[in-house]
Amino acid sequence: MAVSSNKTLDASGLSCPLPIVKTKKEIDTMSSGQVLEIISTDPGSKNDMAAWCNRTGNKLLESSEEGGKFKFYVQKS
Amino acid sequence: MKSMAIIIQKDAYDLILTGLAFAYLGTAVYDEVDILCVNWAVKLISKEGVKIKLDHQDASLQKIQENLTKAGLPTDLYEIVKALKSTGKVHFYGCSLAAAIFEVDQKDLIPEADGIVGATWFLTEKAEKATIFMQY
Repeated sequence: MAVSSNKTLDASGLSCPLPIVKTKKEIDTMSSGQVLEIISTDPGSKNDMAAWCNRTGNKLLESSEEGGKFKFYVQKS
Repeated sequence: MKSMAIIIQKDAYDLILTGLAFAYLGTAVYDEVDILCVNWAVKLISKEGVKIKLDHQDASLQKIQENLTKAGLPTDLYEIVKALKSTGKVHFYGCSLAAAIFEVDQKDLIPEADGIVGATWFLTEKAEKATIFMQY
C-alpha cells in the first residue's frame, strides 16, 4: 500500500547538508504522526536520511530510488 | 542535551566551508553547535575578517560559488554565519589567545559572535561535554 504524505519537500538539486537541514526545518513545523515526503537527488541522502531518522526518533516509513531520484517518507515522532 | 563542538583554525574561504557545512548539518542533528575560532579563524567573527579570501590562489572563486549555489548554500561567508546563527543553535566563540595574536578585540566582533573566551572554558564546558568533536 502506498504511503500518503501530509507535505512534500522537494530538495532536488541540493547537496549535503541541505536535504537534511531542510527536512529538519519542515518536520519542526508538522505535528506528531504527520508524514513528510522528501525528494532528493543527493546520493548521500540515502544513508543520511536513515541515520537522521534513527538519531532523532522520527520514523522512516519508506524509501525508494528511481532514475537518480530518492524519495523518502518520514513520519514525525 | 546532545551537542557538537568544532574548532576551526583557518579563515580562508576554500578551507573552512566543510567545517561550516558540518556545523549546518549539526543544527539538524544536535541541540547545540559550539564553534571555537582559533588562530586565523578568529578573524572570521570580526567585522573586518568575515570577508572572502582563498588559500588556493589557483582556485576559481566564481566556480566554487556557482557550485555552492547549486548545492543550496549561501556563497557569502557572512551570509553563511548568519544562516547558522538563525537556527538558534550555533554559538561562535573567539579564542582569547588568537584574538590577542591576531588583534581582534571584543568591539571588533560581528553581532553574531558570542564573545571571546578562554580555551580551557571551551574544552571543559563545551568540547568535553559534546557528543561529537570536530576540528578544521
